[in-house]
Amino acid sequence: MLWILGTMAQEQRPGPSELEEQLLQVAAGSREALAAFYACTRTAVYGLALSYLRNGHDAEDVTQDVYLRVWDSAAGYQPHGKPLAWVLTIAKNFALMRLRSREKLRDLSEGEWEFLAIESPAVTAEDREVLSAALGVLGEQERQIVLLHAVSGLKHREIAQLMELPLATVLSKYHRGLKKLKKKLEGEDAV
Amino acid sequence: MTDYHLEQKLAQAVEHAAPDQLDAILDRCGQRRGPVVVMQQTPRRRRSFSVYAVAACLALLLLGGGGLGFYRASNAVASVVSLDVNPSIEMQVNGREKVLSVAALNAEAEEVLADLPLKGTDLNVAVNAVIGSLLRHGYLDSISSAILISVEDSDANRAARLQQSLSTEVGTALQNAQSGAAVLSQTVTQDAGLDSLAQQNSVSVGKAYLIESIRGVNSALGFDELAALSVEELKQMASAGAGQMPIGREQAAAIARAYAGVEAGASLAEVDPELDEYPPHYEVELKTAYGEYEYIIDGYTGEVLSGAADIQTNPGGATTPSTPGTSGGQQPSGADIGLDAAKSAALTHAGVSASQALFTKTERDYDDGRLEYELEFWVGETEYDYEVDGATGRIIKSEAETHMAASQGDIGLEAARDAALRHAGLSLSQVRGLETERDYDDGRLEYEIQFYAGGMEYEYTIDGATGTVLEYEMDED
Repeated sequence: MLWILGTMAQEQRPGPSELEEQLLQVAAGSREALAAFYACTRTAVYGLALSYLRNGHDAEDVTQDVYLRVWDSAAGYQPHGKPLAWVLTIAKNFALMRLRSREKLRDLSEGEWEFLAIESPAVTAEDREVLSAALGVLGEQERQIVLLHAVSGLKHREIAQLMELPLATVLSKYHRGLKKLKKKLEGEDAV
Repeated sequence: MTDYHLEQKLAQAVEHAAPDQLDAILDRCGQRRGPVVVMQQTPRRRRSFSVYAVAACLALLLLGGGGLGFYRASNAVASVVSLDVNPSIEMQVNGREKVLSVAALNAEAEEVLADLPLKGTDLNVAVNAVIGSLLRHGYLDSISSAILISVEDSDANRAARLQQSLSTEVGTALQNAQSGAAVLSQTVTQDAGLDSLAQQNSVSVGKAYLIESIRGVNSALGFDELAALSVEELKQMASAGAGQMPIGREQAAAIARAYAGVEAGASLAEVDPELDEYPPHYEVELKTAYGEYEYIIDGYTGEVLSGAADIQTNPGGATTPSTPGTSGGQQPSGADIGLDAAKSAALTHAGVSASQALFTKTERDYDDGRLEYELEFWVGETEYDYEVDGATGRIIKSEAETHMAASQGDIGLEAARDAALRHAGLSLSQVRGLETERDYDDGRLEYEIQFYAGGMEYEYTIDGATGTVLEYEMDED
């Protein structure tokens, strides 16, 4: 039964009402609630930052900034049942800001920026292969869409809203991205 | 490798790569309210403007004004911050950016501030709460609306820093709320003359400052007349040269109503000033029982530049035809059909009876200033998700998903497409932008069918084995 699969997915990803409750408590100054919200959403936020920045260090910095902003702005969150989209919008804005400042920086010191730069000891060789394929082979929007879908579990329509793209574009880039990724990974497996 | 498998791998890789930074984050959260460094005071009056075109919202934050007496009486008040849209709100803030007191400068502001516990909170929290309340009350939802942030402080450096951080804060809040607006901000160092002018005319010091800058260009314009204009109008006049006194939004609405031949009681007017365009004008949208009508009124002469006359005798020219119950539907204060009516609209649309449905979510909410009911219910193994317009009962969004066991076989792309079209009640020739995709999801063959028709966007997932509609979404295009 698909229904069972649906239930499992919900356990991995807390529902909007749970996240909204956490935000409400964050707004009231609860650090525990911030910790819980962080635990529930950090992979999605980090994943989004990584898809924009393609660099672990930058993604970490952006992720920190995002949760500081959550701490400061939770009171302004309007409960529309889309807490994840809200925090991801913040993440997107910070990632774009970071990209712009990096562009400026790179004019000054060529070669400072390093592709990937992911240092977490939990990352396996296979993880690294998948990540470097996703961040290296895919086009900018393809990797953003594919990672958002895979990591955050947002629907294509929600991704379209977040990225301000037509749904049709998101769908076609998503499918093209997955195909490219499969070809890259399976091609290498075959060798 | 299936799509699902690939996505799992990616999700896991990101999960592994994401470091746990919680401690570092909590540390930084603790530090965010450092003491304010006292900088040398500059007695000179300073002003700077910056327009944030991030989203199109105008925020007015005013610092100073009535709080000045208090400032002198007690060192506790370091700055006064005001937010002006139409509601004018003034906050006194201490050197640690804690809100000491909040004042509503007009009746609209009282409504916005009702029940908001702002005293003693951090300034940015308070500002976010005010923005949230403004949005809930239906302000800042028009694309040309704007909020002005003014900061008055004897310390120009601190004022500039606050101006910058609040502008960013408000800009982000509006963007997150998907408000299409612009943020205007200014700093004003304290000036006794300006404060008394502001007090005499019951406006914020920020607005008084804006008015004085216009009078600096054209001293023939009266302070009290200008004070009656909105921040948006003043800002447009300032950028367009302030040649003469505009007719004002109320007058523009009255002219449009007279031209259309409708009573004020029988129509709602939305007025957007466009005084910085050529010719300077007001856009008036009249919502009447006959439909919605748009008028362009000259900003200075009051001449009707475009729009339909005498709509009761000549009801052809509506920009939007009327539907029962539409008039007033866009206003948050407007009609509310109630939860039961919203439920029954959704059930009727889904074609199921109330006794079959088990409601799992009923939420009353405002989205972009529009009252909506968000409903979720189950009938057997099918989950329905609805958004219903709270004023009209119109279905804004509908989604259904059937959770059922996987089966074998492949009906083919065309049959899947036809199943989706049949479900939508459309023929192939009626739809455009048709996109189809064959996919495996959790080991089951599915067809994803997407198309547009009649201003709506449809998205279907069809079981590749049986042709059953597993999931569909219909949304405003």
